[in-house]
Amino acid sequence: MTFYLSGFRSFPKLWKSNPYFELGPATSSASFFLTVHCVIENQQRWFSVKPATPPNSKTLNLQVTKAKTHKKVNDSDKQVSSDPHYFAAGAAKKRSLISSNLQNLGHALPVRSTVQLPTKPLNSEEWDKLKEDFKGKASFEDFIISQMARSCSSVDVAKSLLAWVAAKNNGVVGYNLLVKYLYLCVFHKQTSEVIDVYEIMKAKYKSLESGGYTLLIRGLIHSDRWRETLLLLEDIKKVMVPSKKNYGDCIEGALLHQDVNMAWSLYQELIGHNLIPLLETLKAFFDYGKDINDDHYSNQLLDILLYLKNNQLYPGESFAHSIKTWFESIPGRQWKGEFTTIQKSGQCSNCGRTIESIHLSPEEYEFLKEKIMRDVIDGGDQYKKTTPQELKKFESFVNSCPPFDIVIDGLNVAKMFPKSRESQNLLRVVSQLAQQNLQLLVLGRKHMLRPSSQWRKDEMEQVKKQAHCFFADNISEDDPFLLYATLNSGNHCKFITKDLLRDHKACLPDARTQRLFFKWQQGHQLAIMKGFQKSKLTFQHILSYDTVVQTTGDSWHIPYDEDLVQRTSCEVPTKWLCLQRKTPAPC
Amino acid sequence: MNMTIRFLRPFARCLVPYTFPRKRSNLYSTVVQRYMSSKVPSLSCPNKGSASPPEQLELDGWKATMKSSVQEDGVSEVLDKDEESLAATRELIEMWRLLGKEVPEHITEEELKTLMECPSKSAKKKYLRYLYCKKKKKKARQIKKEMKAEAREEAKRARLLETTGEQQRDFMFLRLWDRQMNIAMGWKGVQAMQFGQPLVFDMAYDNYMKQSELQNTVSQLLESEGWNRRNVDPFHIYFCNLKIDSAYHRELVRRYGEKWDKLLLTATEKSPVDLFPKDSIIYLTADSPNRMTTFKHDKIYIIGSLVDKNAQTGISLAKAKRLNLATECLPLDKYLQWEVGNKNLTLDQMIRILLCLKNTGSWEEALKFVPKRKHTGYLEVSEHSQELFMKLKKIKTLSSFQKGSLNVRTWKR
Repeated sequence: MTFYLSGFRSFPKLWKSNPYFELGPATSSASFFLTVHCVIENQQRWFSVKPATPPNSKTLNLQVTKAKTHKKVNDSDKQVSSDPHYFAAGAAKKRSLISSNLQNLGHALPVRSTVQLPTKPLNSEEWDKLKEDFKGKASFEDFIISQMARSCSSVDVAKSLLAWVAAKNNGVVGYNLLVKYLYLCVFHKQTSEVIDVYEIMKAKYKSLESGGYTLLIRGLIHSDRWRETLLLLEDIKKVMVPSKKNYGDCIEGALLHQDVNMAWSLYQELIGHNLIPLLETLKAFFDYGKDINDDHYSNQLLDILLYLKNNQLYPGESFAHSIKTWFESIPGRQWKGEFTTIQKSGQCSNCGRTIESIHLSPEEYEFLKEKIMRDVIDGGDQYKKTTPQELKKFESFVNSCPPFDIVIDGLNVAKMFPKSRESQNLLRVVSQLAQQNLQLLVLGRKHMLRPSSQWRKDEMEQVKKQAHCFFADNISEDDPFLLYATLNSGNHCKFITKDLLRDHKACLPDARTQRLFFKWQQGHQLAIMKGFQKSKLTFQHILSYDTVVQTTGDSWHIPYDEDLVQRTSCEVPTKWLCLQRKTPAPC
Repeated sequence: MNMTIRFLRPFARCLVPYTFPRKRSNLYSTVVQRYMSSKVPSLSCPNKGSASPPEQLELDGWKATMKSSVQEDGVSEVLDKDEESLAATRELIEMWRLLGKEVPEHITEEELKTLMECPSKSAKKKYLRYLYCKKKKKKARQIKKEMKAEAREEAKRARLLETTGEQQRDFMFLRLWDRQMNIAMGWKGVQAMQFGQPLVFDMAYDNYMKQSELQNTVSQLLESEGWNRRNVDPFHIYFCNLKIDSAYHRELVRRYGEKWDKLLLTATEKSPVDLFPKDSIIYLTADSPNRMTTFKHDKIYIIGSLVDKNAQTGISLAKAKRLNLATECLPLDKYLQWEVGNKNLTLDQMIRILLCLKNTGSWEEALKFVPKRKHTGYLEVSEHSQELFMKLKKIKTLSSFQKGSLNVRTWKR
């Protein structure tokens, strides 16, 4: 639902059509406002990037309606036509929508009753009167300014409040009031007020806390005194590592004032702290890059793209536009960018180039295999997931068999269709695969062998005839065995389970190994499509290509996230930006 | 505007219950007002200059006084780097306090050092919050204590006025109840040491726990021991795998003080497997696949003394598997309608359940010690009522009127 919200929020025109959202801004927290603000800001920037296309609003509206109809299709459970792969962005959400028919959100918004917020500056008598009306736990000043920050009252109203407080307290205004006032000033981009508050804070307090610094930095980067934000950053560093937002703001300030070297050195520092920069920060570099033609600078931008590749980050939609614009602005090179998708065969629909393969290199493969063995299965205590005896038995079993083509998670497959018997499900899958002359391995637990209403003995006998089977103890975990058997059989081997294996991914020690695992999983996991029960067995198709920022020197392929699609961490984007250099036309 | 008001009306209806009755009169205007004020920025920003307040309020005067107020300055300039960061942290905490965040008012050197050792920002915030709550509780206790002392004084004075006429009264006992109780409990404890059923606390988990978890564990151990001591027929408690000078041992000795050496229990460095025959041991763990049906008086139950806030599942099951011991878990699902929370119970709850089982053998009685918040009730009772409910529902659905009302109910939910 939230992508709706963002869609509507960024278009005030649409607010009127929907009463539900009108209440939103007044009730949401202050921090939320910042994000909304950002969205709007992005939108504006987006406009400025592409002034040539006026019907932007129309396209966005279209997208909104598209998303709407999309949802309707889901609700009526009729989506078969478009068939994204298992890890496609939004796929998990779709699956969950299908399985649990989407309930409408509860419409009772928790709205607290408040004192009427003044819309224009009040004099002290009026403030006194308002205070008399107010009876609550918190102090009146505190409460009212929080409400103002929440609903973004105008600066003048807040100023009149502070003047009243100061008059009462011999000219002293508390730090908390000052910070909230600063927030309002920053929000409304009143730079001169920000500078005033900055002066006051400098005079009154020796040092501030992180929230105050963050606001000051954000407010001051637009002014001529932006260099002082660097001093503020130094002050933060004394106590803690500044946040990526702090760095991002400082970098933006430096870029605004044409100090490129400072921006890059701040960027290096940010990376040095192991912080992952905000995509906005990276986007700012690209946006700025349009205006300068400098080889050094463009190399650094390419470095950013490599950083995205190595950390498997995907730019957002507007960022992708920035990248495209920058590439196209390089003089003499004649880059041409298109937004496109990749075909199932792994070829770009635009240029026809083949995207990098999903398969791991042999070294990576060995590395991953060893890590899975050591961290997922063994994990420092073999007894946690299995027992040493069982592990030994399994290893010798796997080594005695020929390499498998497909490893099946027996319990997962059997429980896929709750309406029919579990052993029957398993047998059906196994026999269909066995017909294709594949070497199969079925992993399960010992209780599957004990005849019961769900597990018939004759069917299990047939399964055993058609496939190799390994049954683990009832209290052992079967997934690690599945992973190891698949990895041990080699690169061609696939495994069947609907499990996303997130808990096993989490056992891996570092982000790099987890990414390797995810890449391998994308290339080797087969998920059975629902609705197969009567017809033939069909799988969600496997990606043959890796979804990652990549280059071949004279072309770049960059996957990006669409603004209106939500993506979970175990899914990858489906949209791409294809950039290629125009070959000089043959004369 | 008309349109928006009409839209708001349905919301306003569901807002009313949340509002103070006092505010009800001007509710509509509030909502509309808020709606308008939320739109103010986009409207008023561009023409801010022209929309200056008509009364010409004095708005900027406070700034001058704020700027002129001198900052208190009393810090020497020569500070080495460590001290500087310590001082900066102190200031940060002070500013946070001004902002109304949950940080302690005063912080000692030692606490500050611990704070600096916290690896991340969120760890620091958590620790500060912990200190804040601790200080707050301490203060509240102090106040309560003072009030009690005052009340006692008052009562004493009143009694002095009252009991002017001295009179001799006959008593059978001197007032030495506490001591008598202690001695009696000591006797029972000695008997348990000789003939009692062993109950083992396995202390081999100290490297799975952080300091705070370890302290919680020790608190729970203390409480368990106390419950056991007061029982009619106490267990003979064993602290197994308790290494001398481990963190566990040090904490236990610190908490018990000189009483540690006089405790009527067996603390040993040995493993339970060395002390008892393997086939009579049952390891109690919530991860076990086997459900405990009855309390057996000839078995030795082991409880892992582990507070696990990291949710690292299966540690104690792995341990039992390694030693090849039988495992069991409490039949919580069988008897209780489980609602929220972990199936892991605290050590003192475990020992109370076991003591109760030992003395009465009734699960309903024993599972009273499971926290009420974790379950909605006993299952057998609810099963009966569920059947009844289904029957009633069947009858009800026959008549269409009732059906309609049922629908309304579900819709409301």
